[in-house]
Amino acid sequence: MSMKILRQVLPWTVIALGAIYFLVVVYRAGSPPQPKSTEFNLVSFASLPVVDRGRVQPIDSVARVNLLILSNRQDFVEEKDGPKRRAIEWLVDTLVGQGHKYPIFRIENDQILNTMKLPFRTNFLRYSWDEIKEHEKWIFEEADRADHIPKKDRSAYDVKIMELATHIQIYRKLVAGMAPLVVPPIHGREDWLSIRAANDDSHPLADVWFGMLSAYLKEDVRQFNKSVKEYRGFLAEKMPDELSAVSFESFFNRLEPFNKCMHMYITVFALAVIGWIPFGWSKELRKAAFGLAVATLVLHTSALVMRMMIQGRPPVTNLYSSAVFIGWGCVVVGLVLEWIYKNGLGSVVAAVLGGLTLEVAHHLAQSGDTLEMMQAVLDTNFWLATHVTIVTFGYVATFVAGFIGILYILLGVGTPLLDAELKQALNKMIYGVICFATLLSFTGTVLGGIWADQSWGRFWGWDPKENGALMIVIWNALVLHARWGGLVKHRGVAVLAVGGNIITAWSWFGVNMLGVGLHSYGFIPGAVLWMFIFVASQLLVIAIGLMPEQLWWSNSAAKLAPVPAFKPPRL
Amino acid sequence: MNKTAITATPPAPAVAPEKTTATDPLLANLPLLALKAIASLRVTVVLFALSLILVYYGTWVQKEMGIWTAVDKYFRSAIVFIPIRVLSMYTLDVPGAVPYPGGWLLGGLLLGNLLAAHAVRFKLSWKRSGIFLIHAGIIVMMLGELVTGMFSIEGHMRLRDGEAVNYVNNNRVLELAITRPIDAKTDDTVVIPGRILRKGGNIQHDDLPFDVMVERYMVNSALIEVDPKGKAKNPDNKGIGQELIAKEKPEAAGIDGDDEDHAAAYLKLKEKGTGKDLGTYLVSVVLLRPQDVKVGDKIYQIALRFKRIYRPYTLHLINMRHDKYLGTNTPKNFSSLVRLVDPERGEDREVLISMNDPLRHRGETFYQSSMERSDTPQWTQLAVVRNPGWLMPYFSCAMVAIGMLIHFGLHLVAFLGKALR
Repeated sequence: MSMKILRQVLPWTVIALGAIYFLVVVYRAGSPPQPKSTEFNLVSFASLPVVDRGRVQPIDSVARVNLLILSNRQDFVEEKDGPKRRAIEWLVDTLVGQGHKYPIFRIENDQILNTMKLPFRTNFLRYSWDEIKEHEKWIFEEADRADHIPKKDRSAYDVKIMELATHIQIYRKLVAGMAPLVVPPIHGREDWLSIRAANDDSHPLADVWFGMLSAYLKEDVRQFNKSVKEYRGFLAEKMPDELSAVSFESFFNRLEPFNKCMHMYITVFALAVIGWIPFGWSKELRKAAFGLAVATLVLHTSALVMRMMIQGRPPVTNLYSSAVFIGWGCVVVGLVLEWIYKNGLGSVVAAVLGGLTLEVAHHLAQSGDTLEMMQAVLDTNFWLATHVTIVTFGYVATFVAGFIGILYILLGVGTPLLDAELKQALNKMIYGVICFATLLSFTGTVLGGIWADQSWGRFWGWDPKENGALMIVIWNALVLHARWGGLVKHRGVAVLAVGGNIITAWSWFGVNMLGVGLHSYGFIPGAVLWMFIFVASQLLVIAIGLMPEQLWWSNSAAKLAPVPAFKPPRL
Repeated sequence: MNKTAITATPPAPAVAPEKTTATDPLLANLPLLALKAIASLRVTVVLFALSLILVYYGTWVQKEMGIWTAVDKYFRSAIVFIPIRVLSMYTLDVPGAVPYPGGWLLGGLLLGNLLAAHAVRFKLSWKRSGIFLIHAGIIVMMLGELVTGMFSIEGHMRLRDGEAVNYVNNNRVLELAITRPIDAKTDDTVVIPGRILRKGGNIQHDDLPFDVMVERYMVNSALIEVDPKGKAKNPDNKGIGQELIAKEKPEAAGIDGDDEDHAAAYLKLKEKGTGKDLGTYLVSVVLLRPQDVKVGDKIYQIALRFKRIYRPYTLHLINMRHDKYLGTNTPKNFSSLVRLVDPERGEDREVLISMNDPLRHRGETFYQSSMERSDTPQWTQLAVVRNPGWLMPYFSCAMVAIGMLIHFGLHLVAFLGKALR
């Protein structure tokens, strides 16, 4: 009796724990611990509105984005293995000219380090301005030389030295008070001004900012906190809308929702996989995994909505947001499948694809501000909402089908679990999802054509990104026709679905790697290697899937034991 | 022979039953069997796979050639020779190429396959209506691409501040214009098509007082200033060639984005009859002004330019704007305010052309395509497109989307009904 109650309670306990975690992180982001009166109130300072890279944002975002660009991290340490400190502390120290001692320039090229006679700091690779400033002239000369080499002929060294020069420029602009633009358009001015420009202009607010920063430099905590408070009060009166908008973004920054989602997806994955092991509690674990995944989806969805509110745009505006959105879509599809089949597979699909795409997004975020402004051509919410969103959903569906294909092959070859019934179920999943993928990728691609017709006068131009989208459509059509024609059966559909992963990855990233076109809004050299690894891994799975079926564990197991050890629930 | 044999024995089927059943229906059914073979889903899948590969390499090849060259060679062709370096994705640099079916061939075969399938396999029913709609939509789309490929004309109009222009430049056709001003309003112009220049050699024309000898023709080039101390200086040159040198560049690759080819040529002019050398001139599409050539007491003007197609209406540029995001160089919007004057139709109106907001007039559409990159741009460029098939994709998209919704929707409803029971 008590065992039965325990069985009923277990899934709900896990879900409740997830929900509590959720509430705790939201609460902590919403009301961060107030600093003592003897500490600088950097929390309040961090949510002051400033302008950088064309948009109004909290100064905390400027700190995070710049640190991310220079250092590849959103926090920093004073020395290797030292305690982590917040980005805003680095920024304010830098603004008052005290940032030169922090190792925040990430330099990973051994040739550059070698010439500068700096040690190769394994697992850290970060250097302070003090360490590199004597080489500044040389760095800019080298960057200038590299700049004159055609893009495709540049070596890794050339690319990295140019990158370092750009980073130094960013740093120098901060130190010189030329960025960000901190003085708002009040007192008859139309534009935001940097501290330096405001000072040259004798703008009254320049003194306010100098007051805050010099109090900070003199370690006058009382004066600093008082100035920040007064300035906030002033802004609350003059520009309440901007102030509440940036406060919201500050909250979003502190929440770091996608990191939290990542932790939760890992837990979901663990629960669902353990739930596959045939033992007395597997059903309860699968239920718990499903419930927790739903809770995570709530957080993931809220985070997406928050981003849309901050940016005032549909969900996908750049490569980073496409990754976040693809992850979200995969989770939705995975959970729908779980809801229908209740066999733990959908939860695994959701957790793995949700987690992986957030990991990809995390890496993509390192190129800068993920809420950046849109290029002129892309500046249209209607087409971003329709074409981009639908095409991205097409990617989602193709990836989900491909991932179920991987599960089919790996479960079949590596475990005894893939019996006739599960084969059938997985195939229905793949088929259904590919039908959706075809519908979405076709509609999305054609809508893209209509957008192109509206803005450039040609429906179809055979440009690389368009071709990538077309390839997904053709591939999905191929799979469907091969199945309808009986050319492939269960295994063949699974193998073809894995092929869809390669095509989708090509369309999503590969064409951006070919070079720069109108569509190529996010090129990252390191990504080429990851693309290569991904394609190789998918080809490996395909090769495993093509092994003779006698070698599949599930097949030999089926012969040995006619009653399978694991039975998914009936449809 | 067969025919007489059959007619000779019609009343005795029992005598030669094998013969009639073995050959006669077979012969009669041969077209049907052939149609069935063509209609096979196996053929469809193979054609899809071939198309996929074509699209893939048609993308890769844009690393080395312009997007329109790639389209002509790969997608609007029957056969394409794919170089091995492209096939190997630029990892092998060996000569040689592999013949491969081009876009028009594959498209035609897919169309044949589809029509054959409908002829032999599909019966119209509610259950199948979605598929019919999808396939019909796809046919419309393929025909749309065919119409676009064959009949659409893409050009551009470049307007400087305050300027009025009544012609469209054809993007892909160049011409050498040799003009003799007669009076303030009339010119006497001889036009030599770009493809003749490209062939090279000596070009003669009865109306010209000189022959044009093509010394060098460059599909794409960069103009660089002559270094007075450098050895590259060419003292034979006349005109702008004394100050600028054209450096040959490979054709702009499709993946380079909006880079267009800047053709240039070195032309040696020789007076007719006497053979007197009038000097070597550098002409290029990027030079905005024609150059003067003096022959005796007459002045001729020469210019390499895009082929002009004159229109019965005029666009006047009133002003242009290039908006950027606050404190950045990221463009936010480009727009051109123009006055459209069409005397035949009595139209005279102001139009603001901006990104995603074109002007449509007399079957042509004018899009904001580019603008000089500076804070005070000197010129704006409008893309001008006439495409009689422009509506076809819209119909097609609607048909296919509705078809898929019907087809997959029927399946989904049936499936969910079963799964959730």
